[in-house]
Amino acid sequence: MAQEYRFIGKPTKRQDAAAIVTGGAQYLDDIKFHNLLHGKVLRSPHAHAYIVKIDKSRAEQLPGVEAVLTWEDVPDWIGGTPRVVRVLDRKVRYVGDAVALVAAKNAQIAKEALALIEVVYQILPAVFDLEEAMKPGAPQLYQELPGNIVTAGTPAFGRNCLTEVVMGDVEKGFGEADAVCEGTFGYENIANPIPPEPPGAVAHWEEPNRVTLWVSNQASYLDKIILFHLFGKKVEVRTHGAACGGSFGTKLMSWQVQSYATLLSKATGRPVKIIFTKEEHIAAFVLRPGSRMHARVGMKRDGTVTAVSGTWLVDTGYYSATTQAQVAVGCGEIQLMTRCDNWDLKTAIVCTNRNASGSVRGFGGQELKCSFIPVLCLAMEKLNIDPVEFIKKNYVKPGDGYFWRDGDWYTYRGIDYSDCMDQGARRFGWQEKWQGWLQPSAVDGPRRRGIGVGVHGNADIGEDSSEAYVRLHPDGSAMLFSCITEHGTGQRSNYVKMVAEVLQIPMERITVSPADSLVNPFEYGPFGSRGTYAIGSAAIKAAEDARRQLLEMVAPRLDAKAEDLETVDGMIFVRGKPEKSIKWGAMGYERTILGYGRFDPDFTLANCMTTFVEVEVDTETGKVELLHVVNATDAGQIIDPPGLEGQLNGCLGSSGIDSAIFEETVLDPISGHILNANMIDYKWRTFSELPPIDNVVLETPVASHRFKAIGVGEVATSPGPMAILMAVSNAVGVWLHEYPVTPERVLKALGKINANGKVNDSAKVNAKVNAKVNAKVNAKVNANAGSGGAA
Amino acid sequence: MAATNKGKTAKPAKVVAFSVNGKAVELQIGSEPHQVESSHTLAHTLRETLGLVGTKITCDNGACGSCTVLIDGKAILSCMTLTVECQGKSVMTIEGLADPVSGRLDPLQQSFIDHTAFQCGFCTPGMIMSAKALLGENAAPTEDEVKEALSGNFCRCISHYHVVKAVLAAAPGGSE
Amino acid sequence: MKPFLHLNAQTVAQAVKSLVKFEGRARLNAGGTDLFGLLKDEFLPEYPEAIINLKSVAGLNYLKQSKGILRIGALAKLCDIAESPLIKERYGALAEAAHAVASPQLRNVATIGGNLCQDVRCCYYRYPRHLGGPISCARKGNGPCLAVRGDNRNHAIMEGRKCFAVCPSDTAVALAAFDARLVVVGPAGERRIAVRDFYHPLGNALERDEIVKEIEVPALAGRARQSFLKFTLRRPIDFAVVSVAALIVVENGVCCEARIALGAVAPGVIRATAAEEYLKGRAIDVESAAQAGELALAGARPLPKNAYKLEIVKTLVKRGVLGLPLETAGEGDAGGPCPHGNPERG
Repeated sequence: MAQEYRFIGKPTKRQDAAAIVTGGAQYLDDIKFHNLLHGKVLRSPHAHAYIVKIDKSRAEQLPGVEAVLTWEDVPDWIGGTPRVVRVLDRKVRYVGDAVALVAAKNAQIAKEALALIEVVYQILPAVFDLEEAMKPGAPQLYQELPGNIVTAGTPAFGRNCLTEVVMGDVEKGFGEADAVCEGTFGYENIANPIPPEPPGAVAHWEEPNRVTLWVSNQASYLDKIILFHLFGKKVEVRTHGAACGGSFGTKLMSWQVQSYATLLSKATGRPVKIIFTKEEHIAAFVLRPGSRMHARVGMKRDGTVTAVSGTWLVDTGYYSATTQAQVAVGCGEIQLMTRCDNWDLKTAIVCTNRNASGSVRGFGGQELKCSFIPVLCLAMEKLNIDPVEFIKKNYVKPGDGYFWRDGDWYTYRGIDYSDCMDQGARRFGWQEKWQGWLQPSAVDGPRRRGIGVGVHGNADIGEDSSEAYVRLHPDGSAMLFSCITEHGTGQRSNYVKMVAEVLQIPMERITVSPADSLVNPFEYGPFGSRGTYAIGSAAIKAAEDARRQLLEMVAPRLDAKAEDLETVDGMIFVRGKPEKSIKWGAMGYERTILGYGRFDPDFTLANCMTTFVEVEVDTETGKVELLHVVNATDAGQIIDPPGLEGQLNGCLGSSGIDSAIFEETVLDPISGHILNANMIDYKWRTFSELPPIDNVVLETPVASHRFKAIGVGEVATSPGPMAILMAVSNAVGVWLHEYPVTPERVLKALGKINANGKVNDSAKVNAKVNAKVNAKVNAKVNANAGSGGAA
Repeated sequence: MAATNKGKTAKPAKVVAFSVNGKAVELQIGSEPHQVESSHTLAHTLRETLGLVGTKITCDNGACGSCTVLIDGKAILSCMTLTVECQGKSVMTIEGLADPVSGRLDPLQQSFIDHTAFQCGFCTPGMIMSAKALLGENAAPTEDEVKEALSGNFCRCISHYHVVKAVLAAAPGGSE
Repeated sequence: MKPFLHLNAQTVAQAVKSLVKFEGRARLNAGGTDLFGLLKDEFLPEYPEAIINLKSVAGLNYLKQSKGILRIGALAKLCDIAESPLIKERYGALAEAAHAVASPQLRNVATIGGNLCQDVRCCYYRYPRHLGGPISCARKGNGPCLAVRGDNRNHAIMEGRKCFAVCPSDTAVALAAFDARLVVVGPAGERRIAVRDFYHPLGNALERDEIVKEIEVPALAGRARQSFLKFTLRRPIDFAVVSVAALIVVENGVCCEARIALGAVAPGVIRATAAEEYLKGRAIDVESAAQAGELALAGARPLPKNAYKLEIVKTLVKRGVLGLPLETAGEGDAGGPCPHGNPERG
């Protein structure tokens, strides 16, 4: 049972609530700057080409234009992992790649100047499919990456960065299996989380080597570090974070737009703002990685996985920044959900001539599992194993071990999530609805229902480092210094809550520093699900440190030992004797007390999200409708109930569940243009189509920090897509292999459109499909009736 | 109506006058820095000329509802409205909802706070304005009517469920 | 948006005069919801020199019925058409179609004239200039159609020629079922064009300087069961993947009049005449409705990625004829008179 706290676990008002509802919250584009210029980017019409010649003279002559920069004008700043992507290059690698930058007195003039830049291209052959890109003779994106294979492993995770899962003896494992299944599934619709606020930056360069940036990011400190390295460690970088209009992981890397603004400011000596249009946001920012897995699994009748082998191919688009990290984390996460002794899972990251993939909520694991769990399902189908029983049996248990992202082996010391999965299944009504593999749960004329379940969890909740200060003031107030922005999770207010609980002062008496890298200590940022445990730990420790100093300082005044003192609402007294107390002011009015807290990485805890879905498929139109969602998780201790509920409801959007239903980035297969780079053609869920969502949140104390809590928000998007694929396959009685489950794919699976795109005789097909399904349903119903009678 | 009578062609206007949040605004039309260009959208004018940055721009192409404001009480998209075509209109933005004297929030705004009906908050002003238009026409909407009224508003965090509750709770004729 | 000259027309005649004066370099603005996409994305080779505002023309937003003919001013807003008691009562399929367009905010400004005259939604045609576009194409007269070999999931399954973009208008589908005509004004005076003849693969039937002034909807003989069904990937906002308007008049148990219009399957609105003829004189039941669905596909030649539309056409025609909603549970019984299907889901 969770403990009762004064603030923790209570619904409290977000500190920025009034600003948000009055339009007063300042997002990047709302900040006013003196003498500001506006930047725009000229983008490539070709997927792959050399720039033979650029003539910018006409653009430079347009009144109001202050700078035009091409690859010939800019320093050799190189980004990516490994560093192969120049900020501006003489080669373009996708339709929309940056060719030139313009700064002008307003955005319209900058846009008009783009049209005056004359570029001569030498067009090169392009490649859009990852396996095509790996073939000998395929167009090569970078000299440094032969075969378009991106160097495995990220230096950020150390020299032994996880790049594969290899252990035990797979042949022995397959030999012990009751069923061995293999298959290829892809999660390749490169969905886009599209936060509403587009990417952007304002940069102000000061000679000789200093730049201040206003950024839209979850973690402004990380921007400072990324840019410092990108700028050759020769530029002093300061970053200001503000309210962030959504990120979902994507704004972890905004180095390109930040570099563009920096270069234009350097060239003009004035602050320069670049805000991407929504079209640029969709076609030239961050997509989910494409994932294709060919795997072979061995399974016993009791659901034990005896062996996994295969290849996980990841399409990163025209470059990788975080993809190696996503593969490393994905390789860890696959072990968390599959307790197996024998592995031979190899990976490869491949470059293709499309917009880049990058960091997105679900970070590697979502992409991997959407392709891998369906292969497990083939074996479960063969052995008639209920998938809920399977995930209960196979999700990591206390004492189990796994290789995590740095290549080291960790022993799990968290909780067993079986109870949580059971409670979710009960809320959903899984047992009543489950009819067996490839069986609809209900049939009504042409409409068939199906159910599915997915699971995801990671040991990222304790990744990377955080630092915080807490400063106590003699008037009984406090300030938290933590370099985090508010990007929608409510975490800035949650850290206030944690500090308030430690210091026992009202939340209103605590302010949080602006997310300015100049004044705050190191902060990696609220990525993955690390906010609650990692960042929270730093804030808690800083508050505890400050409290300890305060009590030690005033202890002599109360003739007591510091450890016997309590403080509540700015008063200090001996525990149990509140009648004799002194105020914080006893520290002296010309003094503040500064506490410091630090969190170091811990990969021995993992969160877990199980998502159950029910869909209804119209077998005459192929349309899939989402009827019900149940998310089940255990947060250890809920910090803020409405905030958590919001995070879990987020399972639909930001390329989560809906990336299996209608979300996809449509790439022209011949030219490489992204054809739906607008918010009509890129589909997102509206108020008109809200399925009921039930969130089952348990609170089993976890050995994390003082409040026994862990983060679960990020992973809410991840189990859903695979659950949808399972549910639709069950509804129609045939395995679907691709996301999203469009009407075309459903009708094809039903045999209503043949491979040549022609329509089959519908009467015959319907009769056949209905006969097959009805026979199975009837058999099942009869069997149930029999056993029901006995009970 | 044959086109041959009285052969005048259509004419441009020199100024445009309308009200924003109850205050009269008169803007010259032209291409000087202090003027409004005929191609400026209302969203642009509100944010860049009048400094009312509470109105957010997400898609700037009519698909997301972030820039929703009220014109004569109706919810419209300010990114798809030319400022020069606002002559004589009454525009209300998110900045105009709270009581200008007491600063007291509109019941809708308070309800959004009470229900934590936002996550990143970027789409919230547009949501509140769509809801404001609804409650102006229908003091006791059903849940379906709330969803319908907000069906053109994009939110990626999925604050929808909390928003629906907040709007129903703020409805003057509602039962909640 | 790039600058343009902005003109307020006081009368339709003034607007026509201005069109003549600008010789094709001016564009009309009614609700603006389609026009601004063009102005912002600059996907056409030419940017207009002038925008002629039609909203300044007084009295062109009427909805009135006289002598059995419904007359709709071109500036009537979609929100008003969707809510009009007259239209809901007598022309339910049109009210449904108007309600099915875009989002509430857009329906508050979008006009029926604009909805009928809007440009196509082809993703190649509309590819924005500032993302390495625009893309040349047959419709622009400067290149081949890329959709034929590319992604044509939303393109025409019939009657495409050079260009395979489909007519995106929802109201056109309902109006074509009503045999509505457009009253068009130009320098030479007025003329009438049937909605079903208004669209062709490379554009519409308007001459350069013509304006749609009014929509005339003739009265239906008898009390028709009306249906407008719009299939999309999600609601609302989307343009139709397939839409169907069906008007069925049944007397003495047999169908005496059937009008079936198909949207988003061809450059224009298709009247499924073979299906209409087949139904006349028959009882409306599941078999006849399904057969009408099959016959509605006459002449269909899908592109490689849009054969799925055929199934959807068949299904929507069947359900429309039966008066069933889009998301129907069963297909058993037509269920008596259904004013105009497609109720909102919960």
